[in-house]
Amino acid sequence: MATVTRLYRQQIFRPSYILSRHLAEDTEFRVLNLKTTRSQPVQRKKLKKPDVLPPRSYQMPVDQDWGSVWPGPRSFHPATVPLPIRQGYVDKGAPPGKYGNAELMKIPNFLHLTPPVIKRQCEALKRFCTPWPRGLETDSKCEDHFPVEVASSNYCYSSPSIRDPMARIVTVKVKLSRIPLDEHAKDKFLRLVGDRYNESTDMLTIVTDRCPLRKQNYDYAMYLLTALFHESWRVEAWEKLKSEADMEYYDWKVSASKKSIETLFGKEHTDITHADTYSQTVDALMNEGESEYSVTKYGEAVRQMLQLPQ
Amino acid sequence: MLKMRSTDLIIRRVFSSLTSLRLQPFSTQPAIQERLETFRTTENSPLNHTEDHIGQFYRIPPETKKQLFLYGGLAKSYEIQTKTFTETCFMVRKPAVDIIYCMKTIDYSKPAIRFVMYGKKGNGKTLSLAHILHYALESKFLIVHVPWVGNWMRRCKESSNSEVKEGFIDLNIDAAAWLIHFKNQNAHLLGDPELKVAEDHVWNKRETTPKDAPLTELVEFGINRIKYASRCVVALAEEIKKLSKAGKCKTFVAVDGFNALFYPQTNILTEKKQVVHPSKVTLTEAFLNLTKFDWNNGVAVVIVDEIAIGEKDQISHLPRYLLGKEGFEHMDPFVPILVSEYTPKELKSCMDYYRERKWVQPLPGQDEELTFLSASNPYRLMLLCNPL
Amino acid sequence: MAAIKTLLNKYQVLATKTPLFSAFIQRNGMSQYPSYYIKPIYKKETQEEMYKSGEVQKMTHIPTRAALNDQTCSVFHDELLTLFVNYVMKDGLKVLTRELVEKSLENIKRIQLEKYHKAKTEEEKQNIELNPKVIFHKAVENCKPLLQLTPVKRGGVTYQVPVPVTDKRSQFMSMKWLIEAGREKERTVKFPEKLAYELIDAANNTGRVIKKKHELHKLCEANRAYAHYRWS
Repeated sequence: MATVTRLYRQQIFRPSYILSRHLAEDTEFRVLNLKTTRSQPVQRKKLKKPDVLPPRSYQMPVDQDWGSVWPGPRSFHPATVPLPIRQGYVDKGAPPGKYGNAELMKIPNFLHLTPPVIKRQCEALKRFCTPWPRGLETDSKCEDHFPVEVASSNYCYSSPSIRDPMARIVTVKVKLSRIPLDEHAKDKFLRLVGDRYNESTDMLTIVTDRCPLRKQNYDYAMYLLTALFHESWRVEAWEKLKSEADMEYYDWKVSASKKSIETLFGKEHTDITHADTYSQTVDALMNEGESEYSVTKYGEAVRQMLQLPQ
Repeated sequence: MLKMRSTDLIIRRVFSSLTSLRLQPFSTQPAIQERLETFRTTENSPLNHTEDHIGQFYRIPPETKKQLFLYGGLAKSYEIQTKTFTETCFMVRKPAVDIIYCMKTIDYSKPAIRFVMYGKKGNGKTLSLAHILHYALESKFLIVHVPWVGNWMRRCKESSNSEVKEGFIDLNIDAAAWLIHFKNQNAHLLGDPELKVAEDHVWNKRETTPKDAPLTELVEFGINRIKYASRCVVALAEEIKKLSKAGKCKTFVAVDGFNALFYPQTNILTEKKQVVHPSKVTLTEAFLNLTKFDWNNGVAVVIVDEIAIGEKDQISHLPRYLLGKEGFEHMDPFVPILVSEYTPKELKSCMDYYRERKWVQPLPGQDEELTFLSASNPYRLMLLCNPL
Repeated sequence: MAAIKTLLNKYQVLATKTPLFSAFIQRNGMSQYPSYYIKPIYKKETQEEMYKSGEVQKMTHIPTRAALNDQTCSVFHDELLTLFVNYVMKDGLKVLTRELVEKSLENIKRIQLEKYHKAKTEEEKQNIELNPKVIFHKAVENCKPLLQLTPVKRGGVTYQVPVPVTDKRSQFMSMKWLIEAGREKERTVKFPEKLAYELIDAANNTGRVIKKKHELHKLCEANRAYAHYRWS
């Protein structure tokens, strides 16, 4: 019981304190403020919008010179581009418009490269150009006169250094058919270059990047090309040891098949009737892979050669 | 009780309706009689089989079957079928007719010609070979027939080191079993006094097979002295070649699963548990010797089969792949013979045969569906027909 | 579930709001199809018949369920046999089971053909049934029991009361007995062989399964005095 009464007393004390304070502030009319709320809520500060000009594109004339509005590469600006572009994706509804659209700002644009601008710039550059060499009008003629194609890249961007380590790489391309090689030399050349040769385009590609300077890399590439050429023409003593297993394709003339039919008939293969069709079918069977067709052809050739009924 | 009786009656009625519903095989009897000419031929001698008989069945007498296939040569599933059908019938098919025709026209004074039969699994290579074997028997060939090389290379009975050749393996029990098979198949020819051994064979200090002894003696020796069976097979192969060269007999060599002789992974192990290459097995030597072309008066028909090699290597059914480089060079030039799936005509005739044997109950639309389900593969067709 | 469906059927007022309720049913039921989907007709012959009789017109626009994977229009399709395969199946090994059942059909054929070839007169031969499917149907039909015993508790005593069975139940029991008989064998004997013998025996109205059926019938006969407990 005692504790309860104490609590009661405390509750009585507090309102009396508030009451006295009010007495001191104004004497107009005493209001019993039980909840201790402030009489007037504080006015919220109104958000003042800054004065922004309307987008510039609203005032653009239709026949303006776009090249001077957008002279250089620049990230997208919605107020400058007078196009109703939309970009992005929302679950339901249309893609977001151009204002405040980060998607549009992220992607590179080519608004500075409109056809009339390019035309104008080319016109301006024309007086620095020399005429195109005569006799090199077409690509095939170019290829004919300059079989070796050398490519390297320059890099230019807004970093403090103007050098890029990638600029040293030199790529030399040449068509294999343009290099004078005989059968042996070609075989050796291909073995030496390995996967640098593309069979479908007949193109040899040498990429050099081991030296620090482009000049050095270029020289090295040229050296490689020269060395490859001369090395492939040279015949070493051990090359005579090349056996059937080292052949890159099946050659009937050096095969066991030829030997066996020569012993079978007891004469040279040139004297055997139908031996040539037989040899062709064996070559096809071995080189083009086995199929129902090639096996049938082989069978026909064998029957012809052995004089069996078809 | 009364209730039960009434239901019994109902059931009986259901039965009678069921039996009347089912297709009765005997109602179609006349139709089968009509078709008899189309799927069965009365020409039971393979000597006279020509292109006209393709797709027809012919019966081989039980004695002939016993002589040829007592110790293997037919698939087990086929043996079961023959038992159920109470007869052995082969279908005359194109590859067999082709080879038989070639064998009739070959100039036997020229080097031996080799035929290689190939085809997908279950296309009937072994049965075509059986047909040709029958022909060879009828036309008095000396038959050298290996029912299945895989039996030697993949599940041999026993292996031992060769005494004569260093590093070689003998399969003596298998060799002796083969000699019995050989003796059985050529029982009618081996009595011929012309067949003599051409040179002395010294087996050990005491035992020799002298020159001019009959060939039977050599075979008998191999069967009785199992220890020397492998060597005996090699010697026999050499002797047969010599006899053929001398013109004393015509020889027909048939090897089923021939490509197992070139497949490096055998199940034969040495004492050190190393895998033996087939070229290191003495039996291989004998049959490679017989499939060479350096002799005459002989024909070799071999089958290359996917099943003869390991399952992981069963990629293609074509002969060059299965023989491998070594095997191709050994056989070259050979005549490849494709054993293909059933043609529509053959399939029809096969189904007619099954129906005539009461193996399959006639049902409309049956043949078309089976054609598609089996993709015309003879073995698949047989399996599909089993539960019908 | 069924209660809700019957309710729906009873009160036409509710039935008009089917979409709402059907969604509810679907969420709780096992089928992936709403209740108004009809079962497919996969037999070509039945389809043709329906075309002839014009019955197809009724169901043209009714949504249809997809056919189950063992429902085919194959000429060899047998509904009872696929059901039987499903009964034999253990652990969902359907391919194996189908092989076993087909093997036993093959064995039936081999046994019957052997008998056929042994038979001497033409009449004897005619009496031998060679179609394994007919034998199978016959066997299942022969093994169907008519009555069954169910335990009924009356006054603290459980009585075995003979009760007539539905056709479907009796068919199930017959197949179950056949399978049990097939499984009861020596270790060396294979299931298809044993099943083949049992099927042939049952088709000839002999054998263990038929005996079992007769025993059940006899028991029912003996307990006929309790029959009134079915309804009282």
